[in-house]
Amino acid sequence: MSNGRLEKFLNRFADVRGHEAHAALYLSGFFFLITFTFYIIKPIKESFLIGINPAWWPYADLATAILIGFVVALNARLLNRLPRRTYISATILFFIGSLFVFWYVFDVYLKSLVSTPVADSSGGIFFIGLPLAILKAGIIPVFVFSFWTDVFIAMSVTQFWIAVNDVFDPYQGKRLVGLFVTGGLFGGIAGSSLAALMVFAKLISAGNLLLVCPVILVFALMMVNLVYAEQKQLRETAGAEVDPVQAGARVGYWESFLSVKRSRYLRLLAATLASAMVAGALINFQFKFAVKNVFSDTNDRTSFVSMFFLGILILSTVFHLATTGRILRSFGIKWAILVAPAFLLAGSLSVFLVSLGGLLAWASIVRGGDKLFDNTIGQSVRELLYIPVPADIKYKAKMFIDMFVNKFATGLGAGLYWGLYRLSGFAYKDPIANVRELGILVVVFLCLWIALTRAVYAEYPAVLKKDIRRKWIDGDKAVRQHVDVEQTLNIFNTIQSRERSTTLYYMNVFNLVRGNDLAPELKELLGIKRDEIKARSMDSLLDVGGGVFFPGLEETIVDAEFQSEIDLIFLLPSYQEIMGKRLGEIVGSDSEVDRIEAANSISRMVPNPSTLRSLERLLQDPSSEVVTYALGSASVHRRVEHIPLILRQLANPMTSQEAQRTLAAYGSGIEDLLKSALEDDGESPVVRRAIPEIVARIGTQKSADILLDELACRREDMEKELVDALYEIRSGRPEVRFREKLVRPELLFLIGKGYEIFLDQPVPDAGARAALDLNIKRVFNLMALLYPPEDIVKACQNILQGTRKSGDYSLSLLDDLLDRELKALLFPLIEDLPPEERVQRMKKAMRLK
Amino acid sequence: MLIKTREVNNVIIFDIEGEIRRSESMQTTLHNQVKSHLDRGRRNVLLNLEGVEFIDSFGVGEILASYISTQNLGGKLKLCRISKKLLLIFQITMLTKVLDIQEDCECALESFDKP
Repeated sequence: MSNGRLEKFLNRFADVRGHEAHAALYLSGFFFLITFTFYIIKPIKESFLIGINPAWWPYADLATAILIGFVVALNARLLNRLPRRTYISATILFFIGSLFVFWYVFDVYLKSLVSTPVADSSGGIFFIGLPLAILKAGIIPVFVFSFWTDVFIAMSVTQFWIAVNDVFDPYQGKRLVGLFVTGGLFGGIAGSSLAALMVFAKLISAGNLLLVCPVILVFALMMVNLVYAEQKQLRETAGAEVDPVQAGARVGYWESFLSVKRSRYLRLLAATLASAMVAGALINFQFKFAVKNVFSDTNDRTSFVSMFFLGILILSTVFHLATTGRILRSFGIKWAILVAPAFLLAGSLSVFLVSLGGLLAWASIVRGGDKLFDNTIGQSVRELLYIPVPADIKYKAKMFIDMFVNKFATGLGAGLYWGLYRLSGFAYKDPIANVRELGILVVVFLCLWIALTRAVYAEYPAVLKKDIRRKWIDGDKAVRQHVDVEQTLNIFNTIQSRERSTTLYYMNVFNLVRGNDLAPELKELLGIKRDEIKARSMDSLLDVGGGVFFPGLEETIVDAEFQSEIDLIFLLPSYQEIMGKRLGEIVGSDSEVDRIEAANSISRMVPNPSTLRSLERLLQDPSSEVVTYALGSASVHRRVEHIPLILRQLANPMTSQEAQRTLAAYGSGIEDLLKSALEDDGESPVVRRAIPEIVARIGTQKSADILLDELACRREDMEKELVDALYEIRSGRPEVRFREKLVRPELLFLIGKGYEIFLDQPVPDAGARAALDLNIKRVFNLMALLYPPEDIVKACQNILQGTRKSGDYSLSLLDDLLDRELKALLFPLIEDLPPEERVQRMKKAMRLK
Repeated sequence: MLIKTREVNNVIIFDIEGEIRRSESMQTTLHNQVKSHLDRGRRNVLLNLEGVEFIDSFGVGEILASYISTQNLGGKLKLCRISKKLLLIFQITMLTKVLDIQEDCECALESFDKP
């Protein structure tokens, strides 16, 4: 089947993309065959176990719990020594071989004990010895077979997920998990149906049924080899090296344990799964009591158990196809993780209301619920919870949890049952009392499960975020971290002023020294060091003109007394009177340098009417140099009447930046004036576009509200500036709040604009791609107003410019962070999708909207 | 100030001559030119200052604004062939802590590929 057709077919079960279709099919086929085999074996095991005395029940589970550690150690050793493909193939071959051994034991050896019991001719020993022989020979093989079945399922499932991790990255895994679970469910249905039919129809004995399994496992072997062969081919084509985890990783039992021990998240995850397993094991004992109470005949009991499994699997499939994905999409992991324990808790508490007649129905519902959720949403959630764990740690941890913790928990459940059985005299009580006593323990573990579930979920986003690093910091933040922009610009002005006039130069030096503790290098650069040689060398290096420096300038200029004397001169009434008249003349002078000096000195003068009138004229000077100095003085005096003149300077590219700084220096209180200019259709678009930046620098709550109101007008030419300004407030002023009802419509509007680009050009050219990137950046900048900005920025950067893996992690983070509606609209825009599918999803999302 | 633009290995190079300063005769600013390339999806910008004799506060503001716009989009803006005099001022004002200044353009071009 071609990739396209196969993709279409598989898309009925999960979100499968073309290039991953074959591998996804092989792996879901592999999982199908494993569960097919297991659900043939499982009723046989249950049938054998139920046939023995209830007092023996826990020993099978305890044996598994004790011995599984050795299997884990062996498994780890095999993982270390063998390439992954060889390792999986060898284990499947081992299971095939051992199935023949069990068939021989159950179908040939034990039967031969019954058919050839002749120990003596009288037959005396036959009647005494046979029951003992069968008991001894029967219980031990049943326990061995039970243990082998547990090992088979634990190893097979672990190997399956290891193969999934080898082939797919976490985000792919998350998309494809539905397909794999579907494969597993269908495998289970096929296996239990086959077993039930064979037993009912008496076509085959349970022992002979074991011979069907090797045939199925041979197909599983082929499937997994196809997967790895395809991966090898892909790696060779891409020229990639062998996956280091597969090639050289050395993982032992102890290391697997340490990987869980070192991580709080994995410890919590292991504890959660363990408490779920203990509860499940105890529920299983309750179920056995209920079944034993109703069915005394072994065959009836076996048929019921087979049909029960079949029913559960069919229900699981229906539930999985109809709701698992929907629950995860709609409520996310946060609530999906609670579904199973909440249902079981409600069910377990109801045992105290149930009569003996309704016990089997109750037990079937509770155990059925446990298995149903375990097969569907529980399995999906478990795999999702592993996503943020790094791949190398994940497979070590999974191995330990799946093969040791789970079995230990089952053993603990069995131990608790054993203790209760011995201590409270179970054998002498009626089944309803037994089930209720077990129910108390079940409730305890279900409560623990729920508590641990919340703890795991609380850790989940933090673990996920560890894998998403910020790729760059915002430009203005990077500049602010290292550079005092105001001082730097003043330094450049000062250096430049040496060409113009000594007076202007001294004015600038005075301003610099007064406000700052200048570094020696800077003093040297500006020529205010006493060392004449250095000053001279610097002078020639900088190649600037200007006056000769007075010796001793350094000491004088930094002298506080000298500075206060100058301030006093500026305050003298006679000085103000003279300068008031003189300023008027200078402002009208033809000399640009004179006007610059006047504009500069106004900053230190008392703002009397004549000074302010002069400043007003200078703010309208034809020379942008003069205006720049006048803007500096205006930022000191901050008069409302100057604002219209300063706003006008925003239209001039030579003075625009200085005008922005000046207006920002006015601070809060001028927001309404800026708002009027922003909303004024008669105002120059250049001026209007410069205003959001000023409003952002003022950064009050009112500023944010003004910007949001303006954004709601949806003026195309203002969009970039408004969104950037809002983001600037968000990143610099965490105390400012942004009303969701105002932000959200604009966010959806921007997403819609992104849709338009894609719908117009499903395969965007360079221009459309650039427009899309800018659109997506703005979408994320707006999202940062509603969600934690650091998370949103990280996700944005990694989606736009990260690796495929970091992009996938970012999508997982957003999946966890955003609400359902936003996710449904945003994801088609930012996910890596084939063009056709993207268009389809966008159309669907728009319909939903 | 005269600005010529060329593209080498996905890097937009601005060859600047003269003085980067406030001038009434200027048609468009350096920052506006950088922004127009960023809007077209370009993310790597190199300012070749070989022919630049002087930079005033306006010029520094333009370079910093260009750097901020490029950086905000995940791009890189670098400078090359800056004169010793200007380098000294850039060092003293700590601009070298923010701006990546390379001695020659070839090294600068190669450095764009490095993380």
